[in-house]
Amino acid sequence: MSVTRRDFLIASTCVATAGAFPVVHSMEVDGKRYTMVHDEKACIGCTACMDACREVNAVPEGVSRLNIIRSEPIGTYPDVTFQFFRQSCQHCDVPPCVAVCPSGASFRDPDTGIVDVDPDKCVGCQYCIAACPYQVRYIDPVTQAADKCDFCRKTNLAQGKLPACVESCPTNALIFGDLNDPDSEVSQVIATSKTYRTKVELGTDPHLYRIAAPTGGNRS
Amino acid sequence: MNDILNGAFHFESLVWHGPIAAYLFLLGLSAGATLIGLLLKRRVIQGPAWKNGFIKAVAVIAPIGIVVSLLILILHLTKPLAFWKLMIYYNVTSVMSVGVMMFQLYTAVLFVWLALVFADPINQFLDLGLQGRLRWLARPIDRCVSFLSRFELSIEWVLALLAAALGAYTGFLLSVLKTYPLLNNPWLPLLFFFSGLSSGVAGTLLLGVVGFKESGDSPSAHWAHAFEKPIIFGELVVLGIFFGWLFLSGGRAEVAALAAITSGFWAVVFWVGVVFVGLLLPLALQTILPAKWQHSVTFIVVLTSSSLLGVVSLRYFILYAGQMTVY
Repeated sequence: MSVTRRDFLIASTCVATAGAFPVVHSMEVDGKRYTMVHDEKACIGCTACMDACREVNAVPEGVSRLNIIRSEPIGTYPDVTFQFFRQSCQHCDVPPCVAVCPSGASFRDPDTGIVDVDPDKCVGCQYCIAACPYQVRYIDPVTQAADKCDFCRKTNLAQGKLPACVESCPTNALIFGDLNDPDSEVSQVIATSKTYRTKVELGTDPHLYRIAAPTGGNRS
Repeated sequence: MNDILNGAFHFESLVWHGPIAAYLFLLGLSAGATLIGLLLKRRVIQGPAWKNGFIKAVAVIAPIGIVVSLLILILHLTKPLAFWKLMIYYNVTSVMSVGVMMFQLYTAVLFVWLALVFADPINQFLDLGLQGRLRWLARPIDRCVSFLSRFELSIEWVLALLAAALGAYTGFLLSVLKTYPLLNNPWLPLLFFFSGLSSGVAGTLLLGVVGFKESGDSPSAHWAHAFEKPIIFGELVVLGIFFGWLFLSGGRAEVAALAAITSGFWAVVFWVGVVFVGLLLPLALQTILPAKWQHSVTFIVVLTSSSLLGVVSLRYFILYAGQMTVY
Protein backbone atom coordinates (compact mmCIF):
# COMPACT_ATOMS: atom_id res chain seq x y z
CA MET A 1 0.00 0.00 0.00
CA SER A 2 1.35 3.37 -0.93
CA VAL A 3 0.37 6.64 0.66
CA THR A 4 0.60 9.80 -1.39
CA ARG A 5 1.32 13.12 0.19
CA ARG A 6 -2.26 14.14 -0.61
CA ASP A 7 -3.71 11.08 1.18
CA PHE A 8 -1.49 11.74 4.13
CA LEU A 9 -2.60 15.34 4.43
CA ILE A 10 -6.27 14.43 4.22
CA ALA A 11 -5.87 11.69 6.78
CA SER A 12 -3.93 13.83 9.20
CA THR A 13 -6.46 16.64 8.89
CA CYS A 14 -9.22 14.20 9.78
CA VAL A 15 -7.31 12.96 12.84
CA ALA A 16 -6.53 16.48 13.99
CA THR A 17 -10.17 17.55 13.59
CA ALA A 18 -11.44 14.52 15.47
CA GLY A 19 -8.88 15.15 18.17
CA ALA A 20 -10.03 18.73 18.56
CA PHE A 21 -13.64 17.82 19.35
CA PRO A 22 -13.13 16.50 22.89
CA VAL A 23 -11.23 19.68 23.74
CA VAL A 24 -14.13 21.81 22.55
CA HIS A 25 -16.52 19.59 24.45
CA SER A 26 -14.68 19.84 27.76
CA MET A 27 -14.79 23.64 27.58
CA GLU A 28 -18.56 23.51 27.58
CA VAL A 29 -19.85 24.66 30.92
CA ASP A 30 -21.98 22.11 32.68
CA GLY A 31 -23.30 22.69 36.17
CA LYS A 32 -22.45 25.42 38.61
CA ARG A 33 -19.18 26.21 40.35
CA TYR A 34 -20.09 28.03 43.54
CA THR A 35 -17.38 30.40 44.66
CA MET A 36 -16.99 33.02 47.37
CA VAL A 37 -15.01 36.23 47.61
CA HIS A 38 -14.10 37.77 50.96
CA ASP A 39 -13.42 41.46 50.46
CA GLU A 40 -11.00 42.20 53.28
CA LYS A 41 -11.18 45.89 52.40
CA ALA A 42 -14.89 46.00 53.14
CA CYS A 43 -14.86 43.67 56.17
CA ILE A 44 -15.17 45.45 59.51
CA GLY A 45 -14.79 42.31 61.63
CA CYS A 46 -18.26 42.53 63.19
CA THR A 47 -18.57 38.70 63.09
CA ALA A 48 -22.28 38.88 62.21
CA CYS A 49 -21.47 36.17 59.63
CA MET A 50 -20.25 33.82 62.36
CA ASP A 51 -23.47 34.23 64.35
CA ALA A 52 -25.69 33.83 61.29
CA CYS A 53 -23.85 30.67 60.25
CA ARG A 54 -24.23 29.11 63.70
CA GLU A 55 -27.93 29.91 63.82
CA VAL A 56 -28.91 28.84 60.30
CA ASN A 57 -26.88 25.64 60.28
CA ALA A 58 -27.51 24.79 63.95
CA VAL A 59 -23.76 24.52 64.61
CA PRO A 60 -23.23 23.31 68.22
CA GLU A 61 -21.30 25.35 70.78
CA GLY A 62 -17.58 24.66 70.96
CA VAL A 63 -17.11 24.19 67.21
CA SER A 64 -17.56 26.56 64.27
CA ARG A 65 -17.71 26.42 60.50
CA LEU A 66 -16.53 29.97 60.09
CA ASN A 67 -14.07 32.16 61.96
CA ILE A 68 -13.06 35.74 61.34
CA ILE A 69 -9.50 36.06 62.60
CA ARG A 70 -8.48 39.56 63.61
CA SER A 71 -4.87 40.62 63.10
CA GLU A 72 -2.68 42.43 65.60
CA PRO A 73 -3.42 46.18 65.62
CA ILE A 74 -1.75 47.89 62.66
CA GLY A 75 -0.47 51.46 63.07
CA THR A 76 -0.24 53.68 66.15
CA TYR A 77 -3.04 55.27 68.14
CA PRO A 78 -5.26 56.95 67.05
CA ASP A 79 -4.67 55.61 63.52
CA VAL A 80 -5.15 51.97 64.34
CA THR A 81 -6.58 49.44 61.93
CA PHE A 82 -6.95 45.69 61.76
CA GLN A 83 -7.02 43.03 59.08
CA PHE A 84 -9.67 40.37 59.01
CA PHE A 85 -9.15 36.88 57.66
CA ARG A 86 -11.93 34.44 56.93
CA GLN A 87 -11.14 30.88 58.00
CA SER A 88 -13.59 28.38 56.52
CA CYS A 89 -13.81 25.62 53.93
CA GLN A 90 -12.27 26.70 50.60
CA HIS A 91 -14.33 24.24 48.52
CA CYS A 92 -11.25 23.09 46.64
CA ASP A 93 -11.48 21.62 43.16
CA VAL A 94 -8.88 19.07 44.29
CA PRO A 95 -9.88 18.59 47.94
CA PRO A 96 -7.34 16.60 50.02
CA CYS A 97 -10.10 15.76 52.53
CA VAL A 98 -12.10 13.94 49.84
CA ALA A 99 -9.05 12.08 48.53
CA VAL A 100 -8.16 10.64 51.95
CA CYS A 101 -11.66 9.79 53.21
CA PRO A 102 -11.74 5.98 53.54
CA SER A 103 -15.53 5.59 53.42
CA GLY A 104 -16.40 8.18 50.79
CA ALA A 105 -18.29 10.25 53.38
CA SER A 106 -16.42 13.36 52.24
CA PHE A 107 -17.38 14.23 48.72
CA ARG A 108 -17.42 17.02 46.17
CA ASP A 109 -20.84 17.64 44.64
CA PRO A 110 -20.20 17.68 40.87
CA ASP A 111 -23.25 19.87 40.18
CA THR A 112 -22.21 22.75 42.42
CA GLY A 113 -18.52 22.20 43.22
CA ILE A 114 -19.41 22.22 46.91
CA VAL A 115 -17.38 19.94 49.19
CA ASP A 116 -19.63 18.28 51.75
CA VAL A 117 -19.84 15.40 54.26
CA ASP A 118 -22.38 12.59 54.52
CA PRO A 119 -22.56 12.24 58.32
CA ASP A 120 -24.07 8.77 58.06
CA LYS A 121 -21.13 7.38 56.07
CA CYS A 122 -18.53 9.11 58.28
CA VAL A 123 -16.95 6.84 60.91
CA GLY A 124 -14.91 9.59 62.57
CA CYS A 125 -11.35 8.52 61.71
CA GLN A 126 -10.38 12.20 61.47
CA TYR A 127 -8.10 11.60 58.50
CA CYS A 128 -9.82 14.50 56.67
CA ILE A 129 -9.25 16.84 59.61
CA ALA A 130 -5.53 16.10 59.43
CA ALA A 131 -5.46 16.25 55.63
CA CYS A 132 -7.10 19.67 55.23
CA PRO A 133 -4.27 22.20 54.88
CA TYR A 134 -6.71 25.00 55.75
CA GLN A 135 -7.60 23.32 59.08
CA VAL A 136 -11.31 24.06 58.91
CA ARG A 137 -12.75 20.65 59.80
CA TYR A 138 -13.97 19.45 63.18
CA ILE A 139 -15.94 16.60 64.73
CA ASP A 140 -19.51 17.67 65.38
CA PRO A 141 -20.16 16.89 69.06
CA VAL A 142 -23.76 15.91 68.31
CA THR A 143 -23.43 13.68 65.22
CA GLN A 144 -19.83 12.59 65.99
CA ALA A 145 -19.16 13.03 62.26
CA ALA A 146 -16.68 15.37 60.58
CA ASP A 147 -18.25 18.66 59.51
CA LYS A 148 -17.46 22.10 58.07
CA CYS A 149 -18.89 24.91 55.91
CA ASP A 150 -21.05 23.62 53.04
CA PHE A 151 -21.95 27.05 51.59
CA CYS A 152 -25.35 26.41 53.32
CA ARG A 153 -25.98 23.67 50.74
CA LYS A 154 -28.55 21.94 52.94
CA THR A 155 -30.11 25.08 54.46
CA ASN A 156 -30.24 28.51 52.81
CA LEU A 157 -29.05 27.42 49.36
CA ALA A 158 -31.64 24.63 49.27
CA GLN A 159 -34.29 27.30 49.92
CA GLY A 160 -33.02 29.46 47.10
CA LYS A 161 -31.36 31.97 49.43
CA LEU A 162 -27.76 33.12 49.67
CA PRO A 163 -25.52 31.50 52.32
CA ALA A 164 -26.23 32.82 55.82
CA CYS A 165 -22.90 34.63 56.13
CA VAL A 166 -23.41 36.47 52.83
CA GLU A 167 -26.97 37.43 53.74
CA SER A 168 -25.99 38.79 57.12
CA CYS A 169 -22.94 40.84 56.11
CA PRO A 170 -23.70 44.54 56.73
CA THR A 171 -20.90 45.82 54.48
CA ASN A 172 -21.34 43.42 51.55
CA ALA A 173 -17.86 42.08 52.12
CA LEU A 174 -18.94 38.60 51.00
CA ILE A 175 -19.78 37.92 47.37
CA PHE A 176 -21.16 34.53 46.43
CA GLY A 177 -22.19 33.00 43.13
CA ASP A 178 -21.50 30.78 40.17
CA LEU A 179 -18.01 31.10 38.70
CA ASN A 180 -19.12 29.16 35.61
CA ASP A 181 -21.48 32.00 34.75
CA PRO A 182 -19.32 34.82 33.36
CA ASP A 183 -22.06 37.38 34.07
CA SER A 184 -22.47 36.54 37.77
CA GLU A 185 -21.33 39.13 40.31
CA VAL A 186 -18.69 36.79 41.70
CA SER A 187 -17.21 36.22 38.22
CA GLN A 188 -17.21 39.96 37.55
CA VAL A 189 -15.52 40.76 40.86
CA ILE A 190 -12.84 38.10 40.33
CA ALA A 191 -12.29 39.31 36.75
CA THR A 192 -11.94 42.96 37.66
CA SER A 193 -10.34 42.98 41.14
CA LYS A 194 -6.96 41.88 42.35
CA THR A 195 -7.70 38.78 44.39
CA TYR A 196 -5.59 36.17 46.15
CA ARG A 197 -6.12 32.66 47.41
CA THR A 198 -4.14 30.85 50.09
CA LYS A 199 -1.87 27.81 49.73
CA VAL A 200 -2.53 27.47 45.98
CA GLU A 201 0.95 25.97 45.66
CA LEU A 202 -0.41 22.78 47.26
CA GLY A 203 -2.47 22.19 44.13
CA THR A 204 -5.84 22.24 45.91
CA ASP A 205 -7.39 24.91 43.65
CA PRO A 206 -9.37 26.61 46.45
CA HIS A 207 -12.55 28.53 45.60
CA LEU A 208 -12.45 31.11 48.36
CA TYR A 209 -10.96 34.25 46.84
CA ARG A 210 -9.85 37.21 48.90
CA ILE A 211 -9.39 40.90 48.18
CA ALA A 212 -6.49 42.15 50.27
CA ALA A 213 -6.88 45.22 52.46
CA PRO A 214 -4.50 48.07 51.46
CA THR A 215 -2.48 47.75 54.67
CA GLY A 216 -0.77 44.77 53.06
CA GLY A 217 0.72 41.73 54.72
CA ASN A 218 -1.63 39.02 53.47
CA ARG A 219 -2.00 36.00 55.65
CA SER A 220 -1.45 32.66 54.10
CA MET B 1 8.29 19.96 83.61
CA ASN B 2 4.51 19.54 83.55
CA ASP B 3 4.27 22.49 81.21
CA ILE B 4 6.78 20.92 78.84
CA LEU B 5 4.91 17.60 78.78
CA ASN B 6 1.59 19.37 78.43
CA GLY B 7 2.90 21.32 75.46
CA ALA B 8 4.39 18.20 73.89
CA PHE B 9 1.16 16.19 74.01
CA HIS B 10 -1.46 18.92 73.63
CA PHE B 11 -1.31 21.53 70.90
CA GLU B 12 -3.79 23.07 68.53
CA SER B 13 -2.64 21.45 65.29
CA LEU B 14 -2.68 17.95 66.86
CA VAL B 15 -5.35 15.75 65.28
CA TRP B 16 -4.08 12.18 65.78
CA HIS B 17 -3.04 11.29 69.33
CA GLY B 18 -0.93 8.66 71.08
CA PRO B 19 -3.10 5.61 70.27
CA ILE B 20 -2.29 6.15 66.59
CA ALA B 21 1.44 5.94 67.37
CA ALA B 22 0.79 2.63 69.17
CA TYR B 23 -1.22 1.50 66.13
CA LEU B 24 1.66 2.39 63.79
CA PHE B 25 4.14 0.55 66.01
CA LEU B 26 2.08 -2.65 66.36
CA LEU B 27 1.25 -2.82 62.66
CA GLY B 28 4.95 -2.43 61.76
CA LEU B 29 5.89 -5.01 64.40
CA SER B 30 3.38 -7.52 63.04
CA ALA B 31 4.45 -7.02 59.42
CA GLY B 32 8.15 -7.14 60.38
CA ALA B 33 7.76 -10.32 62.44
CA THR B 34 5.88 -12.02 59.62
CA LEU B 35 8.65 -11.21 57.14
CA ILE B 36 11.27 -12.52 59.58
CA GLY B 37 9.24 -15.68 60.16
CA LEU B 38 8.94 -16.31 56.42
CA LEU B 39 12.65 -15.75 55.84
CA LEU B 40 13.65 -17.97 58.78
CA LYS B 41 11.40 -20.80 57.62
CA ARG B 42 12.58 -20.59 54.01
CA ARG B 43 16.26 -19.98 54.51
CA VAL B 44 17.43 -21.19 57.87
CA ILE B 45 15.28 -23.71 59.69
CA GLN B 46 15.87 -27.40 59.02
CA GLY B 47 13.09 -29.82 59.92
CA PRO B 48 9.64 -28.92 61.22
CA ALA B 49 9.46 -25.11 61.55
CA TRP B 50 6.88 -25.16 64.35
CA LYS B 51 9.45 -26.60 66.79
CA ASN B 52 11.61 -23.49 66.40
CA GLY B 53 11.25 -20.95 69.24
CA PHE B 54 11.49 -17.98 66.90
CA ILE B 55 8.69 -19.28 64.69
CA LYS B 56 6.62 -19.70 67.87
CA ALA B 57 7.45 -16.08 68.71
CA VAL B 58 6.32 -14.95 65.25
CA ALA B 59 3.10 -16.93 65.72
CA VAL B 60 2.43 -14.88 68.88
CA ILE B 61 3.66 -11.44 67.79
CA ALA B 62 2.27 -11.23 64.26
CA PRO B 63 -1.42 -12.06 64.97
CA ILE B 64 -1.54 -10.18 68.29
CA GLY B 65 0.16 -7.17 66.67
CA ILE B 66 -2.34 -6.92 63.83
CA VAL B 67 -5.43 -7.63 65.94
CA VAL B 68 -4.53 -5.20 68.73
CA SER B 69 -3.54 -2.50 66.26
CA LEU B 70 -6.91 -2.84 64.52
CA LEU B 71 -8.72 -2.67 67.86
CA ILE B 72 -6.82 0.53 68.68
CA LEU B 73 -7.77 2.00 65.31
CA ILE B 74 -11.44 1.12 65.79
CA LEU B 75 -11.59 2.47 69.34
CA HIS B 76 -9.97 5.68 68.13
CA LEU B 77 -12.89 6.39 65.76
CA THR B 78 -15.46 8.86 67.06
CA LYS B 79 -18.04 6.23 66.04
CA PRO B 80 -16.37 2.90 66.91
CA LEU B 81 -19.57 0.93 66.32
CA ALA B 82 -19.70 2.17 62.74
CA PHE B 83 -16.31 0.60 61.91
CA TRP B 84 -17.98 -1.93 59.59
CA LYS B 85 -18.73 0.89 57.16
CA LEU B 86 -14.99 0.97 56.43
CA MET B 87 -15.33 -2.62 55.23
CA ILE B 88 -18.29 -1.83 52.96
CA TYR B 89 -17.48 1.55 51.47
CA TYR B 90 -14.11 1.83 49.79
CA ASN B 91 -12.27 4.76 48.25
CA VAL B 92 -9.27 3.81 46.14
CA THR B 93 -7.70 7.28 46.48
CA SER B 94 -7.62 6.92 50.27
CA VAL B 95 -4.48 5.33 51.71
CA MET B 96 -6.49 4.34 54.77
CA SER B 97 -9.12 2.60 52.68
CA VAL B 98 -6.49 0.68 50.71
CA GLY B 99 -4.97 -0.20 54.09
CA VAL B 100 -8.30 -1.59 55.31
CA MET B 101 -8.42 -3.79 52.22
CA MET B 102 -4.82 -4.92 52.73
CA PHE B 103 -4.97 -5.74 56.41
CA GLN B 104 -8.10 -7.82 56.02
CA LEU B 105 -6.29 -9.86 53.37
CA TYR B 106 -3.10 -9.92 55.42
CA THR B 107 -4.87 -11.15 58.54
CA ALA B 108 -6.63 -13.92 56.63
CA VAL B 109 -3.48 -15.09 54.81
CA LEU B 110 -1.44 -14.85 58.02
CA PHE B 111 -3.81 -17.20 59.86
CA VAL B 112 -3.81 -19.62 56.93
CA TRP B 113 -0.02 -19.66 56.87
CA LEU B 114 0.21 -20.20 60.63
CA ALA B 115 -2.30 -23.04 60.34
CA LEU B 116 -0.05 -24.66 57.71
CA VAL B 117 3.12 -24.20 59.76
CA PHE B 118 1.50 -25.50 62.94
CA ALA B 119 -0.55 -28.22 61.22
CA ASP B 120 1.02 -31.05 63.26
CA PRO B 121 0.50 -29.62 66.75
CA ILE B 122 -2.98 -28.36 65.78
CA ASN B 123 -3.89 -31.84 64.60
CA GLN B 124 -2.51 -33.38 67.74
CA PHE B 125 -4.49 -30.98 69.90
CA LEU B 126 -7.73 -31.63 68.04
CA ASP B 127 -7.16 -35.36 68.38
CA LEU B 128 -6.31 -35.53 72.05
CA GLY B 129 -7.12 -32.11 73.58
CA LEU B 130 -10.07 -31.57 75.93
CA GLN B 131 -10.47 -35.34 76.43
CA GLY B 132 -11.01 -35.85 72.71
CA ARG B 133 -14.07 -33.59 72.60
CA LEU B 134 -12.72 -31.80 69.53
CA ARG B 135 -12.00 -34.97 67.59
CA TRP B 136 -14.90 -34.37 65.17
CA LEU B 137 -13.10 -31.19 64.02
CA ALA B 138 -9.85 -32.96 63.26
CA ARG B 139 -10.85 -34.49 59.95
CA PRO B 140 -12.33 -31.45 58.16
CA ILE B 141 -9.51 -29.20 59.35
CA ASP B 142 -6.90 -31.71 58.31
CA ARG B 143 -8.48 -31.88 54.85
CA CYS B 144 -8.50 -28.08 54.54
CA VAL B 145 -4.88 -27.87 55.62
CA SER B 146 -3.67 -30.60 53.29
CA PHE B 147 -5.53 -28.94 50.41
CA LEU B 148 -4.01 -25.50 51.19
CA SER B 149 -0.55 -26.96 51.75
CA ARG B 150 -0.36 -27.62 48.01
CA PHE B 151 -0.17 -23.84 47.57
CA GLU B 152 2.23 -23.23 50.44
CA LEU B 153 4.88 -21.46 48.38
CA SER B 154 2.33 -19.14 46.72
CA ILE B 155 0.73 -18.40 50.08
CA GLU B 156 4.12 -17.49 51.50
CA TRP B 157 4.85 -15.15 48.60
CA VAL B 158 1.48 -13.44 48.90
CA LEU B 159 1.95 -13.08 52.65
CA ALA B 160 5.44 -11.64 52.17
CA LEU B 161 4.15 -9.06 49.69
CA LEU B 162 1.22 -8.10 51.94
CA ALA B 163 3.51 -7.79 54.98
CA ALA B 164 5.97 -5.61 53.05
CA ALA B 165 3.13 -3.43 51.75
CA LEU B 166 1.67 -3.03 55.25
CA GLY B 167 5.09 -2.10 56.61
CA ALA B 168 5.26 0.77 54.14
CA TYR B 169 1.53 1.56 54.44
CA THR B 170 1.90 3.19 57.86
CA GLY B 171 4.31 5.63 56.24
CA PHE B 172 2.07 6.38 53.26
CA LEU B 173 -0.82 6.97 55.66
CA LEU B 174 1.00 9.98 57.12
CA SER B 175 3.07 11.08 54.14
CA VAL B 176 0.01 12.10 52.09
CA LEU B 177 -0.88 14.80 54.65
CA LYS B 178 -0.01 18.09 52.95
CA THR B 179 -0.96 19.93 56.13
CA TYR B 180 2.21 18.84 57.91
CA PRO B 181 5.47 19.40 56.00
CA LEU B 182 7.50 17.00 58.17
CA LEU B 183 5.07 14.15 57.44
CA ASN B 184 4.53 15.10 53.80
CA ASN B 185 7.85 13.44 53.05
CA PRO B 186 8.42 10.81 50.33
CA TRP B 187 10.95 8.98 52.51
CA LEU B 188 8.52 8.25 55.34
CA PRO B 189 7.18 4.92 53.92
CA LEU B 190 10.71 3.55 53.53
CA LEU B 191 11.69 4.78 57.00
CA PHE B 192 8.67 3.06 58.56
CA PHE B 193 9.32 -0.08 56.52
CA PHE B 194 12.86 -0.33 57.91
CA SER B 195 11.81 0.47 61.46
CA GLY B 196 8.98 -2.08 61.25
CA LEU B 197 11.44 -4.69 60.06
CA SER B 198 13.89 -3.91 62.85
CA SER B 199 11.11 -4.11 65.46
CA GLY B 200 10.08 -7.43 63.88
CA VAL B 201 13.58 -8.93 64.25
CA ALA B 202 14.01 -7.53 67.75
CA GLY B 203 10.58 -8.71 68.95
CA THR B 204 11.07 -12.19 67.47
CA LEU B 205 14.56 -12.56 68.98
CA LEU B 206 13.43 -11.30 72.38
CA LEU B 207 10.33 -13.48 72.68
CA GLY B 208 12.08 -16.48 71.11
CA VAL B 209 14.96 -16.40 73.59
CA VAL B 210 13.08 -15.29 76.72
CA GLY B 211 9.63 -16.78 76.17
CA PHE B 212 10.37 -19.92 74.17
CA LYS B 213 13.86 -20.66 75.53
CA GLU B 214 15.46 -20.75 72.11
CA SER B 215 19.26 -20.76 72.31
CA GLY B 216 21.01 -17.50 71.49
CA ASP B 217 23.61 -19.57 69.73
CA SER B 218 21.32 -21.49 67.34
CA PRO B 219 21.59 -21.07 63.54
CA SER B 220 18.30 -19.10 63.61
CA ALA B 221 19.64 -16.72 66.25
CA HIS B 222 22.86 -16.26 64.30
CA TRP B 223 20.90 -15.49 61.17
CA ALA B 224 18.56 -13.05 62.93
CA HIS B 225 21.56 -11.28 64.44
CA ALA B 226 23.30 -11.02 61.11
CA PHE B 227 20.07 -9.67 59.61
CA GLU B 228 19.51 -7.10 62.34
CA LYS B 229 22.70 -5.10 61.84
CA PRO B 230 22.17 -4.06 58.20
CA ILE B 231 18.52 -3.30 58.94
CA ILE B 232 19.44 -0.91 61.76
CA PHE B 233 22.16 0.59 59.60
CA GLY B 234 19.65 1.03 56.77
CA GLU B 235 17.20 2.69 59.14
CA LEU B 236 19.89 5.13 60.22
CA VAL B 237 20.69 5.98 56.60
CA VAL B 238 17.02 6.49 55.65
CA LEU B 239 16.51 8.63 58.75
CA GLY B 240 19.41 10.79 57.58
CA ILE B 241 17.95 11.10 54.08
CA PHE B 242 14.51 11.84 55.59
CA PHE B 243 15.86 14.90 57.40
CA GLY B 244 18.26 15.80 54.61
CA TRP B 245 15.30 16.00 52.25
CA LEU B 246 13.41 18.25 54.67
CA PHE B 247 16.35 20.61 55.15
CA LEU B 248 17.12 20.84 51.44
CA SER B 249 13.45 21.43 50.58
CA GLY B 250 13.60 24.68 52.51
CA GLY B 251 10.52 26.69 53.47
CA ARG B 252 8.13 25.15 55.96
CA ALA B 253 9.76 21.72 55.59
CA GLU B 254 13.02 23.15 56.88
CA VAL B 255 11.24 25.01 59.69
CA ALA B 256 9.45 21.80 60.70
CA ALA B 257 12.65 19.71 60.68
CA LEU B 258 14.58 22.29 62.65
CA ALA B 259 11.83 22.65 65.26
CA ALA B 260 11.46 18.88 65.60
CA ILE B 261 15.07 18.01 66.34
CA THR B 262 16.48 21.10 68.01
CA SER B 263 14.04 22.12 70.70
CA GLY B 264 11.51 20.86 73.19
CA PHE B 265 10.46 17.46 74.49
CA TRP B 266 10.34 15.73 71.09
CA ALA B 267 13.93 16.71 70.25
CA VAL B 268 15.01 14.84 73.39
CA VAL B 269 12.91 11.82 72.36
CA PHE B 270 14.56 11.98 68.93
CA TRP B 271 18.18 12.21 70.01
CA VAL B 272 17.98 9.98 73.10
CA GLY B 273 15.24 7.51 72.13
CA VAL B 274 15.38 7.23 68.35
CA VAL B 275 19.02 7.92 67.53
CA PHE B 276 20.96 6.79 70.61
CA VAL B 277 18.92 4.00 72.21
CA GLY B 278 17.32 2.75 69.02
CA LEU B 279 20.13 2.96 66.48
CA LEU B 280 23.60 3.90 67.77
CA LEU B 281 23.57 1.74 70.92
CA PRO B 282 22.55 -1.51 69.15
CA LEU B 283 25.02 -0.84 66.33
CA ALA B 284 27.82 -0.07 68.78
CA LEU B 285 27.08 -3.11 70.96
CA GLN B 286 27.09 -5.39 67.93
CA THR B 287 30.33 -3.92 66.66
CA ILE B 288 32.37 -3.44 69.83
CA LEU B 289 31.48 -6.43 72.02
CA PRO B 290 33.43 -9.68 71.48
CA ALA B 291 31.65 -12.30 69.41
CA LYS B 292 31.36 -14.80 72.28
CA TRP B 293 29.15 -12.37 74.28
CA GLN B 294 26.91 -11.61 71.34
CA HIS B 295 24.84 -14.74 71.78
CA SER B 296 24.27 -14.61 75.51
CA VAL B 297 20.68 -14.15 76.67
CA THR B 298 21.52 -10.94 78.55
CA PHE B 299 23.07 -9.40 75.48
CA ILE B 300 20.09 -10.31 73.32
CA VAL B 301 17.64 -8.91 75.87
CA VAL B 302 19.52 -5.60 76.14
CA LEU B 303 20.04 -5.27 72.40
CA THR B 304 16.48 -6.09 71.35
CA SER B 305 14.87 -4.03 74.12
CA SER B 306 16.85 -0.97 73.14
CA SER B 307 15.99 -1.51 69.48
CA LEU B 308 12.26 -1.91 70.30
CA LEU B 309 12.32 1.18 72.53
CA GLY B 310 13.89 3.07 69.64
CA VAL B 311 11.13 2.04 67.24
CA VAL B 312 8.40 3.03 69.73
CA SER B 313 10.17 6.39 70.17
CA LEU B 314 10.37 6.86 66.40
CA ARG B 315 6.63 6.31 65.91
CA TYR B 316 5.70 8.71 68.73
CA PHE B 317 8.28 11.27 67.61
CA ILE B 318 7.16 11.24 63.96
CA LEU B 319 3.47 11.41 64.86
CA TYR B 320 3.69 14.21 67.43
CA ALA B 321 6.60 16.29 66.15
CA GLY B 322 5.18 15.83 62.65
CA GLN B 323 1.91 17.50 63.61
CA MET B 324 3.54 20.41 65.45
CA THR B 325 4.45 22.46 62.38
CA VAL B 326 1.75 23.16 59.83
CA TYR B 327 2.20 24.27 56.27
